[in-house]
Amino acid sequence: MQEPKLERKSEGEYTLDVRGQTCPFPQILSQLALEKLREGSILEVITDNPPSARDVPIALRKKGYEVEVKKSNGQWHIVVKK
Amino acid sequence: MELEMEKVMRFMGRYSLGRDNGMGSLHFLRIKIPGGVITSEYFKGIAELSREYGRGYAEITDRQDIQLHWIEGDDALDIFERLEKMGFTTDMCGQAFPGAGHGDVRNIVGCPLSGVNKDELIDGYPVIKELTRFFTGNEDFLDLPKKFKFSISGCMYNCTRAEINDMAFIPVVHDGEIGFTVLAGGGAGKTLPGPTLAKPLRVFLSQEEVFDVAVATVEIFRDHGNRESKAKARFKYLLDQIGVNGLRNMIEKKLGRKLEDYHGDVSREWIEHTGVGEQKDERYYVCVPLIGGKLSSDIMEWYAGLAEEYGTGDLRLTTFQNLIIVNVEDKEGLLKELGKEGVVLKGIIPKWTAVGCASDFCGKTKEYHSKEIVRDIVEHLETSYPNIFVNQDFKIGVSGCPNNCGYSVIASVGLEGRLIRVNGSVKQGYDIYLRGKLENGSIGRRVAEGVPAENVVNVLNKLLEQYKIKLKNESEIRFVDFLEKLSDTEIKKLVEVT
Repeated sequence: MQEPKLERKSEGEYTLDVRGQTCPFPQILSQLALEKLREGSILEVITDNPPSARDVPIALRKKGYEVEVKKSNGQWHIVVKK
Repeated sequence: MELEMEKVMRFMGRYSLGRDNGMGSLHFLRIKIPGGVITSEYFKGIAELSREYGRGYAEITDRQDIQLHWIEGDDALDIFERLEKMGFTTDMCGQAFPGAGHGDVRNIVGCPLSGVNKDELIDGYPVIKELTRFFTGNEDFLDLPKKFKFSISGCMYNCTRAEINDMAFIPVVHDGEIGFTVLAGGGAGKTLPGPTLAKPLRVFLSQEEVFDVAVATVEIFRDHGNRESKAKARFKYLLDQIGVNGLRNMIEKKLGRKLEDYHGDVSREWIEHTGVGEQKDERYYVCVPLIGGKLSSDIMEWYAGLAEEYGTGDLRLTTFQNLIIVNVEDKEGLLKELGKEGVVLKGIIPKWTAVGCASDFCGKTKEYHSKEIVRDIVEHLETSYPNIFVNQDFKIGVSGCPNNCGYSVIASVGLEGRLIRVNGSVKQGYDIYLRGKLENGSIGRRVAEGVPAENVVNVLNKLLEQYKIKLKNESEIRFVDFLEKLSDTEIKKLVEVT
């Protein structure tokens, strides 16, 4: 199984690709990634799993993060500000 | 940047949460209990999980899993860790992806009395364990076109609904040797080619051959199943394309040898191991009816305690969503204990055999969900027809949607949910199916569409009233035979909602 990677796009901007992962892993991995990032960083989580697209924003908003969700080409881009 | 993944990665491919969308629950946890075999210690362990994380509620599914709800993603790793210590895994729940793929081998069902059943030709449980070990977390089999369901039972009765599995191994005697024959390509859901009963592969296998044939079949499904469309991705669609002989040829090619022919009968009586029965070792099993498989953590612990006190601490879950305590010596003592809490093991057979899906959590139905309807039908039968269904069964299957988790289309009386519009508002309705059966099987026929949920029991009652009248002249006629003999006009009149 491919290990999901957290990649740096630019200064303070990161991407976490969790395509192919089912609940609860996109949520857990997003939280793990956010723990590593500095305040003010932006994390873009990419998922193709509809339940995760619903649940990850709910879980992260509960924890106080600002979250935006965009859908394109059958996948979701969940943009989180730490 | 590296994530600290060790703790997470080790659960991937073996554990997941499914999507709920009702009762305030976002996730369910479907714990696989292979063959429905579980010890009291682990039953209590799951009860504790239910209490700590799932509001103290649990349900037995019709594939012998235990399902919890209200599971939070944040708690999942702790729960997985505890399940891992017990040796259990979960369904992978890949069906939520929009396309085909992400399919896994689901909990393998078996006769709940494996190993103790006096009506058993052969014990199917060892091969269930072996296949479960092989497929669990096996990366080669985690991206099937869709889920794959096995039944492996050595019971002379059809207590696992063999015909609606992708592949079922059923016991036969061939030239004096006991072994298995195979049914392939069944499935009750709406996906193409629609509800289908598995067909005989006409082979005879020794117990040692089952593992290789099972693995070869899943490999064939993985490599040749349709991945372009979710609707065409189940194994039954592939079988429809290649035919049973085509499948047999492909299996034989993979194995590098011919399989032995078997042309005997494959039809068995579809039953639940109801009530109290004698085991092959002269001890007893006690099957407790659970309406819709519903349990609480307290009640789970109570049953586990009874299994320890009166049995050997061994419990079994059935495909009819019931619970069996096995290896009981003092059956009268156990029945007395059960009776003190109002658990009565006498009465109508449908209270053991009626099945309802978890539509209340699924979010596809509105109020008056499947399990509530099952409860009300059973109560109605107990109140109004207490003597009729003590000695005869008819199957009631209630599903919230055409995915047919409650097997509506193979039940004698099946209900399949659909939303209907009444006076401008959306309400819950049910399509009614009659005459489904597995013995010389046939898929049930839809006889009414969109009956308002609150009228369903009344419609069933009209059929039962007519049956009662018929019984006065033909005292031997069973309800299922009465249904078979009804003309289309009579059915239309009886199921018409006035």
